[in-house]
Amino acid sequence: MPPFAGSKSFSNGFHQDSNSNIVTIDVGGQLFQTTKQTLSLAGSKSLFSSISNSNQGVPFIDRDPELFSILLSLLRTGNLPSKAKAFDIQDLISESQFYGIENILINSQSNPSQFDAYNLEKSLVLPLSGRDSASTISTTKYGSLHVAHGSKITSFDWSLQRKSTILTQFTAIDSLLALSPTTAAAGATDFSGLQIIDLDKGFVKDTLNWENVTRSDSTVQAIGTSPEYLFTSFESGRRNSNCIMIYDLNNSLHPVTKIGHYEIFGADLDSAIPATKLQWVPSHNLLMASGSHSGPSGVLGNIKFWDIRSGNVVWELKEKVDCFSDITVSDTLSAMFKVGVNTGEVFFADLRNMDAYVPWICLGDGRKLANGKKEGYGCKINTHGNQVLCSKGNNLELWSEVLFGSTQKQGDNLSERVFKKNLMGRSNDIGGSRITNFDFGGNKMYVTRKDQQCVEVWNSVRGF
Amino acid sequence: MEDQNPEPSTTANDRIKFNVGGKLFETTVSTLRSGGSDSLLSALSNRPAHDPVFIDRDPEIFSVLLSLLRSNRLPSTAKRFSNQELIDEALYFGVESHLRSALAPIPLNGIDSTLLTTVKPSSDGVVSDFHAVDGDESLWVAHGGQISVYDWNLSHVATVRTHLDFISSIKRIRPDVAAVGSLYGSGLHFYNVANGRRVSSAEWVDTSDVRIHKARVHAIADSEGSVFASYDCHHGENCVLMIDKSTMEISSEIGRMSGNSSKNMVPTKLTYVSEMGVLVGSSVMSGAFGYSGYVRLWDPRTRDVVWEMSDPGSGRSSRFGDSFADVDVDLDELRLFKICSKSGDLAVADMRKLSDDPWVYLKEKNPSMRNVGGNGGGNFVIHCYRKQAFVGREGELEVWSRVEGSEDEGIANEGLYRRNYVDKVEDSGRGIIKKIEGGGDRLFVTRENVEGIEVWQSSYNSGVVSVL
Repeated sequence: MPPFAGSKSFSNGFHQDSNSNIVTIDVGGQLFQTTKQTLSLAGSKSLFSSISNSNQGVPFIDRDPELFSILLSLLRTGNLPSKAKAFDIQDLISESQFYGIENILINSQSNPSQFDAYNLEKSLVLPLSGRDSASTISTTKYGSLHVAHGSKITSFDWSLQRKSTILTQFTAIDSLLALSPTTAAAGATDFSGLQIIDLDKGFVKDTLNWENVTRSDSTVQAIGTSPEYLFTSFESGRRNSNCIMIYDLNNSLHPVTKIGHYEIFGADLDSAIPATKLQWVPSHNLLMASGSHSGPSGVLGNIKFWDIRSGNVVWELKEKVDCFSDITVSDTLSAMFKVGVNTGEVFFADLRNMDAYVPWICLGDGRKLANGKKEGYGCKINTHGNQVLCSKGNNLELWSEVLFGSTQKQGDNLSERVFKKNLMGRSNDIGGSRITNFDFGGNKMYVTRKDQQCVEVWNSVRGF
Repeated sequence: MEDQNPEPSTTANDRIKFNVGGKLFETTVSTLRSGGSDSLLSALSNRPAHDPVFIDRDPEIFSVLLSLLRSNRLPSTAKRFSNQELIDEALYFGVESHLRSALAPIPLNGIDSTLLTTVKPSSDGVVSDFHAVDGDESLWVAHGGQISVYDWNLSHVATVRTHLDFISSIKRIRPDVAAVGSLYGSGLHFYNVANGRRVSSAEWVDTSDVRIHKARVHAIADSEGSVFASYDCHHGENCVLMIDKSTMEISSEIGRMSGNSSKNMVPTKLTYVSEMGVLVGSSVMSGAFGYSGYVRLWDPRTRDVVWEMSDPGSGRSSRFGDSFADVDVDLDELRLFKICSKSGDLAVADMRKLSDDPWVYLKEKNPSMRNVGGNGGGNFVIHCYRKQAFVGREGELEVWSRVEGSEDEGIANEGLYRRNYVDKVEDSGRGIIKKIEGGGDRLFVTRENVEGIEVWQSSYNSGVVSVL
């Protein structure tokens, strides 16, 4: 940011000089001066860029000068000054929308780069109306949140100050994915088709379906996304076939191709498992699809990495012993993590070493468990940045990699990676009922718990 | 600035005008230059003085910083801004050292301190060890397997997850590097908190003795150029290793002991006294027959024991059946303070005149204080800071301070120190005090199984409360 104007063209007093770098603005009777560079930070679409380019006297804006001074400070420093606390964030949002700089306000208040997993604490609770607890949640990059509870979807804006609720055709939503702050894809394991829902007005924009050879309708098992595509895992209503459909996000959700189409004949149990988690791995250009089911010999599952262009499985892993209860791929750590359904332990597999006979390495912990029982059923695992978070019962574990040596050189010895865990939260944050979902957006983490009609917000709180 | 030719026109009393965000300010060059020669403002003061210099910042917060430069104190209008905002703005104008001294706490006075706040890490909140650094006033906290750093404003700077499951001792040894040790894992490890990496580690090994293996670190001390850490093995053998700070290599081994009796256990507290060039180590064991332990002074250069005392032991001034529970060094006055395990009395020894019989017991003359605390409960901690001795007895925090005006008498006179409580009765119920440490004119206290670190500091603010 330019601290002061160029040395030659000073204007003494408040005269507007067209060659000057200094811009004088009259807001509600109060004069403000700033530089063209500061105003240009607001972006070309904002009101400020037209002001800095106009050459006719001191422009007058008929708005509140106090709110303007806050937004000017925001432009100068990138942070809200503390006098902004006198106002509701809603005032600032509407004022910033007037000036066309809401994105700068969002950047200062809910920036994903300010997310600090080590410094998260339970700070807010978002109540959900009615008696249904949240079944699934979805977030956007800057922290707006969609919560499916019962047949309803409640959307919170990035400031978490405003919400709106819409009714859907589902009885319960099992998969939800925010495509934009106002549209989401929703599906259920007991309802045919994937619905693209406009969350502002509450209507179904589009319904995507897949039909197998017998033309039976199909339910949605999982939704995933990449910058270009929307992936949906369908299973036919009679549960005898499944596949993953790929839709083009940039071309009005036109179906692109279909991968992993399996028809079940006879007793081939393995092929009957539809993918229940889809995750795009950008660095490898692969789609991770995993699914599991419990059978007579325990929980069986498989993990497949699909090359979507060729429609081939690049790498497949069958899970027979201690199958995953949940699985996630971290691109930044280039590793895959799972929670074992029997042991409740966290395992990791290095993506650079996928051909190993047993890729999983247990990230055990020498310490004894606080409450003896080890079980992975219902555990969720998720990754954000270079951290892995895993919910076990009512607790959240934070796994982070310990780095050795002073250089950035890493990865020569693949087996030597060390991950360590912490329990998240202070003693009064810990406890409550079992965690059912958690996700990240902006500088926040959202947590839902079993039978709780609310969403917990964990925030990185700064300073003293 | 290119045109920094020293113009004769800008002398110290010249006036200079600023236009900050549309508001005009006028001040003198000398005021601006008091911000330090490398600050943005003093750089601006070298400009030719006819036009007001335009600075595109908030005028209100600038007026706070300008009156800070003028009067060396923060005006009351500063209360409208958070400390963090003032710091950010002071960094921009390059006057943060001014602001820092204006915001810094007043000299710590144990008899007049209040609980300011509790610093709580956001996970694994029970602090196992911490180091309050006196130079840059930062606070380095070990909690669980994590290291968290707080700056002089007590705001969180960084957290690093270490490979250790539980850190038992921590010392900041370089501006970015902490040395950590664990009683549940071997070695001393150096973590750089700026990039979150372990930069080095030091294990105690002996090529001639294979039993020296997986030695754990009990205490860490540091000097100008070296780090000292006491190690012990599972069979009890122990020593202090001296590690060079620049190379991170072990430079010598001091005071190797077999660990087969309480007089040669591993030191659980280490302090380096730079004025005397000695390392003070102490160990206390509590058993069925009471406490036993030793205090030993080494010269790290010769690796010889300079002085030692052990309890229970001989010597007239050592009280039978009342051995010490904790020892600390007053680095300002070069004195050793011990607290007795049974009577709870304090004794002091002059480090410059250590003899067989150095201890002088401090008498409490205040009748209302005389019999409290001496119940032999045993959870005693002592820490010397700013010429005062802070003592934790169970949950109670007290201070022993010198009466002014009796400078040259040394410590021969037992009545020179007065005992006072720092805390209130209700504070003591929070838990047993585990560690007390002073740093940056603040006193930090941790309690057993209680999350966070209490921060006590003195203030001129009366804290008057309206009862209307």
